[in-house]
Amino acid sequence: MRKVIERALRQAGLELTEVLQASNGEEALQALRDESGKPNSLALILSDINMPVMDGLQFLEQRRDERLAPGVPVVMITTEGSEPLVLRAISAGAQGYICKPFTAEQVKARVVPLLPAA
Amino acid sequence: MLATGNPTPQNEMVNRLDSAVSEVFEMMLERSCDPMDGDVHIVDGRIVARIQFTGAVSGECILYASPATAAVTAEALLGTASSEPCDPMVDDAIGELCNMIAGGWKSKLEHPQAGCLISVPAVTREGLVALEGKFGTKFSRTYSFQGNIFGIVLAF
Repeated sequence: MRKVIERALRQAGLELTEVLQASNGEEALQALRDESGKPNSLALILSDINMPVMDGLQFLEQRRDERLAPGVPVVMITTEGSEPLVLRAISAGAQGYICKPFTAEQVKARVVPLLPAA
Repeated sequence: MLATGNPTPQNEMVNRLDSAVSEVFEMMLERSCDPMDGDVHIVDGRIVARIQFTGAVSGECILYASPATAAVTAEALLGTASSEPCDPMVDDAIGELCNMIAGGWKSKLEHPQAGCLISVPAVTREGLVALEGKFGTKFSRTYSFQGNIFGIVLAF
Protein backbone atom coordinates (compact mmCIF):
# COMPACT_ATOMS: atom_id res chain seq x y z
CA MET A 1 0.00 0.00 0.00
CA ARG A 2 2.90 2.33 0.70
CA LYS A 3 3.86 2.24 -2.99
CA VAL A 4 0.27 2.99 -3.98
CA ILE A 5 0.08 6.00 -1.68
CA GLU A 6 3.46 7.27 -2.84
CA ARG A 7 2.22 6.99 -6.41
CA ALA A 8 -0.98 8.90 -5.55
CA LEU A 9 1.02 11.69 -3.92
CA ARG A 10 3.20 12.05 -7.01
CA GLN A 11 0.08 11.96 -9.22
CA ALA A 12 -1.31 14.73 -7.05
CA GLY A 13 1.68 16.84 -8.05
CA LEU A 14 3.57 16.64 -4.76
CA GLU A 15 7.33 16.53 -4.89
CA LEU A 16 8.61 13.95 -2.44
CA THR A 17 12.20 14.54 -1.50
CA GLU A 18 12.41 11.64 0.94
CA VAL A 19 9.90 9.05 2.09
CA LEU A 20 10.41 7.15 5.34
CA GLN A 21 8.51 3.89 5.28
CA ALA A 22 7.37 1.64 8.09
CA SER A 23 5.39 -1.57 7.84
CA ASN A 24 3.60 -1.17 11.16
CA GLY A 25 3.01 1.27 14.00
CA GLU A 26 5.98 0.10 16.03
CA GLU A 27 8.39 0.69 13.16
CA ALA A 28 6.80 4.08 12.56
CA LEU A 29 7.29 5.09 16.20
CA GLN A 30 10.93 4.08 16.00
CA ALA A 31 11.34 6.11 12.82
CA LEU A 32 9.89 9.13 14.61
CA ARG A 33 12.21 8.61 17.58
CA ASP A 34 15.15 8.45 15.17
CA GLU A 35 14.00 11.65 13.50
CA SER A 36 13.46 13.59 16.72
CA GLY A 37 15.84 16.50 17.08
CA LYS A 38 16.37 16.86 13.35
CA PRO A 39 15.06 20.26 12.26
CA ASN A 40 12.12 20.27 9.83
CA SER A 41 12.73 16.69 8.89
CA LEU A 42 9.13 15.63 8.42
CA ALA A 43 6.28 17.40 6.64
CA LEU A 44 3.55 14.79 6.89
CA ILE A 45 2.70 11.40 8.38
CA LEU A 46 0.37 9.05 6.51
CA SER A 47 -0.83 5.94 8.26
CA ASP A 48 -3.19 3.04 7.74
CA ILE A 49 -5.25 1.74 10.64
CA ASN A 50 -5.13 -1.98 9.90
CA MET A 51 -1.51 -2.96 10.37
CA PRO A 52 0.19 -5.93 12.00
CA VAL A 53 2.10 -5.69 15.30
CA MET A 54 0.77 -2.21 16.16
CA ASP A 55 -2.22 -0.70 14.40
CA GLY A 56 -2.57 2.90 13.29
CA LEU A 57 -4.71 4.01 16.22
CA GLN A 58 -2.27 2.60 18.75
CA PHE A 59 0.50 4.30 16.81
CA LEU A 60 -1.31 7.64 17.00
CA GLU A 61 -1.95 7.32 20.73
CA GLN A 62 1.60 6.26 21.51
CA ARG A 63 2.98 9.07 19.35
CA ARG A 64 0.84 11.55 21.27
CA ASP A 65 1.91 10.13 24.63
CA GLU A 66 5.60 10.25 23.68
CA ARG A 67 5.17 13.69 22.06
CA LEU A 68 6.91 12.50 18.91
CA ALA A 69 6.85 14.94 15.98
CA PRO A 70 4.03 16.89 17.66
CA GLY A 71 3.77 19.55 14.97
CA VAL A 72 3.63 17.18 12.04
CA PRO A 73 0.14 16.59 10.61
CA VAL A 74 -1.14 13.03 10.42
CA VAL A 75 -3.54 11.72 7.77
CA MET A 76 -5.07 8.29 8.10
CA ILE A 77 -5.61 6.33 4.87
CA THR A 78 -7.74 3.31 5.58
CA THR A 79 -10.67 1.11 4.67
CA GLU A 80 -12.01 1.67 8.20
CA GLY A 81 -14.41 4.56 7.80
CA SER A 82 -16.76 3.91 10.70
CA GLU A 83 -17.56 6.90 12.89
CA PRO A 84 -16.14 5.54 16.17
CA LEU A 85 -12.79 4.84 14.53
CA VAL A 86 -12.68 8.23 12.83
CA LEU A 87 -13.46 9.96 16.13
CA ARG A 88 -10.83 7.94 17.96
CA ALA A 89 -8.26 8.81 15.29
CA ILE A 90 -9.10 12.51 15.46
CA SER A 91 -8.97 12.55 19.25
CA ALA A 92 -5.56 10.87 19.06
CA GLY A 93 -4.23 13.58 16.77
CA ALA A 94 -5.18 12.73 13.19
CA GLN A 95 -5.93 15.84 11.14
CA GLY A 96 -7.13 14.12 8.00
CA TYR A 97 -8.91 10.93 7.03
CA ILE A 98 -8.96 9.30 3.59
CA CYS A 99 -11.05 6.20 2.97
CA LYS A 100 -9.84 3.56 0.51
CA PRO A 101 -10.41 3.33 -2.37
CA PHE A 102 -9.31 6.86 -3.16
CA THR A 103 -8.33 8.97 -6.13
CA ALA A 104 -5.22 11.11 -6.46
CA GLU A 105 -7.51 14.16 -6.39
CA GLN A 106 -8.93 13.14 -3.04
CA VAL A 107 -5.45 12.66 -1.64
CA LYS A 108 -4.42 16.06 -2.93
CA ALA A 109 -7.49 17.76 -1.47
CA ARG A 110 -6.87 16.39 1.99
CA VAL A 111 -3.08 16.47 2.12
CA VAL A 112 -2.03 19.71 0.45
CA PRO A 113 -3.80 22.06 2.93
CA LEU A 114 -1.89 20.40 5.76
CA LEU A 115 1.57 20.89 4.26
CA PRO A 116 3.75 23.73 5.56
CA ALA A 117 3.93 25.55 2.23
CA ALA A 118 0.15 25.64 1.77
CA MET B 1 -26.22 -9.77 -14.03
CA LEU B 2 -28.33 -10.09 -10.95
CA ALA B 3 -31.93 -9.08 -10.89
CA THR B 4 -32.47 -5.76 -9.18
CA GLY B 5 -36.19 -6.09 -8.39
CA ASN B 6 -37.08 -7.52 -4.97
CA PRO B 7 -33.49 -8.32 -4.09
CA THR B 8 -32.92 -11.35 -1.91
CA PRO B 9 -30.36 -11.14 0.89
CA GLN B 10 -28.01 -13.13 -1.34
CA ASN B 11 -28.49 -10.75 -4.25
CA GLU B 12 -27.93 -7.77 -2.00
CA MET B 13 -24.74 -9.31 -0.70
CA VAL B 14 -23.44 -9.98 -4.19
CA ASN B 15 -24.57 -6.60 -5.52
CA ARG B 16 -22.60 -4.93 -2.72
CA LEU B 17 -19.59 -7.01 -3.69
CA ASP B 18 -19.94 -6.08 -7.38
CA SER B 19 -20.18 -2.44 -6.41
CA ALA B 20 -17.14 -2.62 -4.12
CA VAL B 21 -15.04 -4.34 -6.80
CA SER B 22 -16.09 -1.83 -9.43
CA GLU B 23 -15.25 1.14 -7.18
CA VAL B 24 -11.82 -0.19 -6.28
CA PHE B 25 -10.87 -0.88 -9.90
CA GLU B 26 -12.18 2.43 -11.22
CA MET B 27 -10.61 4.55 -8.48
CA MET B 28 -7.37 2.76 -7.78
CA LEU B 29 -6.55 1.01 -11.06
CA GLU B 30 -8.40 3.30 -13.47
CA ARG B 31 -9.90 0.28 -15.15
CA SER B 32 -13.35 -1.19 -15.38
CA CYS B 33 -13.97 -4.60 -13.87
CA ASP B 34 -17.11 -6.58 -14.54
CA PRO B 35 -18.70 -9.62 -12.95
CA MET B 36 -18.94 -12.69 -15.17
CA ASP B 37 -22.13 -14.65 -15.61
CA GLY B 38 -22.48 -18.41 -15.43
CA ASP B 39 -19.91 -21.01 -14.49
CA VAL B 40 -16.43 -19.71 -14.95
CA HIS B 41 -13.45 -21.88 -14.23
CA ILE B 42 -10.43 -20.15 -12.86
CA VAL B 43 -7.94 -22.83 -13.65
CA ASP B 44 -5.17 -21.43 -11.57
CA GLY B 45 -6.13 -19.63 -8.39
CA ARG B 46 -2.74 -20.13 -6.84
CA ILE B 47 -2.41 -16.71 -5.23
CA VAL B 48 -4.96 -16.33 -2.47
CA ALA B 49 -5.57 -13.29 -0.27
CA ARG B 50 -7.83 -13.52 2.79
CA ILE B 51 -9.42 -10.91 5.00
CA GLN B 52 -11.34 -11.98 8.06
CA PHE B 53 -14.43 -10.25 9.42
CA THR B 54 -14.98 -10.37 13.17
CA GLY B 55 -17.45 -8.82 15.56
CA ALA B 56 -20.86 -8.01 14.12
CA VAL B 57 -20.02 -10.18 11.08
CA SER B 58 -18.07 -13.42 11.31
CA GLY B 59 -16.62 -14.56 8.02
CA GLU B 60 -14.00 -13.93 5.44
CA CYS B 61 -13.37 -12.48 2.02
CA ILE B 62 -11.09 -14.54 -0.21
CA LEU B 63 -9.64 -13.22 -3.45
CA TYR B 64 -7.83 -15.67 -5.72
CA ALA B 65 -6.03 -15.27 -9.01
CA SER B 66 -3.41 -16.81 -11.22
CA PRO B 67 0.14 -15.48 -10.91
CA ALA B 68 -0.23 -13.86 -14.34
CA THR B 69 -3.43 -12.04 -13.41
CA ALA B 70 -1.97 -11.07 -10.06
CA ALA B 71 1.08 -9.59 -11.77
CA VAL B 72 -1.07 -7.55 -14.18
CA THR B 73 -3.19 -6.34 -11.29
CA ALA B 74 -0.13 -5.34 -9.29
CA GLU B 75 1.26 -3.43 -12.27
CA ALA B 76 -1.99 -1.52 -12.63
CA LEU B 77 -2.24 -0.77 -8.92
CA LEU B 78 1.39 0.25 -8.50
CA GLY B 79 1.79 1.94 -11.86
CA THR B 80 4.76 -0.21 -12.81
CA ALA B 81 3.79 -1.03 -16.37
CA SER B 82 7.23 -1.41 -17.80
CA SER B 83 8.75 -3.95 -15.48
CA GLU B 84 7.34 -7.07 -13.93
CA PRO B 85 6.77 -6.63 -10.21
CA CYS B 86 8.64 -9.04 -7.99
CA ASP B 87 6.71 -11.69 -6.06
CA PRO B 88 6.53 -9.88 -2.70
CA MET B 89 5.24 -6.78 -4.44
CA VAL B 90 2.59 -8.82 -6.25
CA ASP B 91 1.55 -10.46 -3.00
CA ASP B 92 1.32 -7.07 -1.27
CA ALA B 93 -0.77 -5.67 -4.12
CA ILE B 94 -3.19 -8.61 -4.12
CA GLY B 95 -3.49 -8.38 -0.35
CA GLU B 96 -4.24 -4.67 -0.56
CA LEU B 97 -6.76 -5.25 -3.33
CA CYS B 98 -8.56 -7.81 -1.15
CA ASN B 99 -8.38 -5.38 1.77
CA MET B 100 -9.97 -2.56 -0.19
CA ILE B 101 -12.70 -4.78 -1.64
CA ALA B 102 -13.51 -6.30 1.75
CA GLY B 103 -13.51 -2.83 3.32
CA GLY B 104 -15.71 -1.47 0.54
CA TRP B 105 -18.13 -4.36 0.92
CA LYS B 106 -18.23 -3.85 4.70
CA SER B 107 -18.88 -0.14 4.33
CA LYS B 108 -22.02 -0.90 2.32
CA LEU B 109 -23.54 -3.01 5.10
CA GLU B 110 -26.26 -1.68 7.33
CA HIS B 111 -25.71 -0.90 11.00
CA PRO B 112 -24.66 -2.83 13.11
CA GLN B 113 -22.96 -5.19 10.64
CA ALA B 114 -20.97 -2.28 9.20
CA GLY B 115 -19.23 -2.01 12.55
CA CYS B 116 -17.47 -5.34 12.14
CA LEU B 117 -13.70 -5.40 12.19
CA ILE B 118 -11.52 -6.54 9.31
CA SER B 119 -8.14 -8.18 9.67
CA VAL B 120 -4.92 -7.37 7.88
CA PRO B 121 -4.67 -9.38 4.64
CA ALA B 122 -2.95 -12.75 4.59
CA VAL B 123 -1.58 -13.86 1.22
CA THR B 124 -0.44 -17.36 0.27
CA ARG B 125 0.66 -19.05 -2.93
CA GLU B 126 -0.76 -22.41 -1.96
CA GLY B 127 -4.04 -22.10 -3.85
CA LEU B 128 -7.63 -22.50 -2.80
CA VAL B 129 -7.23 -26.19 -2.18
CA ALA B 130 -5.19 -25.41 0.90
CA LEU B 131 -8.10 -23.51 2.43
CA GLU B 132 -10.15 -25.46 4.89
CA GLY B 133 -13.41 -23.54 5.01
CA LYS B 134 -14.80 -23.17 8.49
CA PHE B 135 -17.82 -21.16 7.41
CA GLY B 136 -21.06 -22.70 6.20
CA THR B 137 -22.38 -20.21 3.65
CA LYS B 138 -20.34 -19.17 0.66
CA PHE B 139 -20.94 -16.80 -2.22
CA SER B 140 -18.60 -17.05 -5.17
CA ARG B 141 -18.21 -14.47 -7.88
CA THR B 142 -15.89 -14.18 -10.84
CA TYR B 143 -14.67 -10.91 -12.33
CA SER B 144 -12.86 -9.88 -15.46
CA PHE B 145 -10.81 -6.80 -16.29
CA GLN B 146 -9.17 -6.52 -19.67
CA GLY B 147 -9.42 -10.29 -20.12
CA ASN B 148 -7.84 -11.07 -16.76
CA ILE B 149 -10.04 -13.21 -14.56
CA PHE B 150 -10.05 -13.49 -10.79
CA GLY B 151 -12.48 -14.82 -8.21
CA ILE B 152 -13.84 -13.69 -4.87
CA VAL B 153 -15.51 -15.80 -2.22
CA LEU B 154 -17.46 -14.38 0.68
CA ALA B 155 -17.84 -17.00 3.40
CA PHE B 156 -19.86 -16.78 6.61
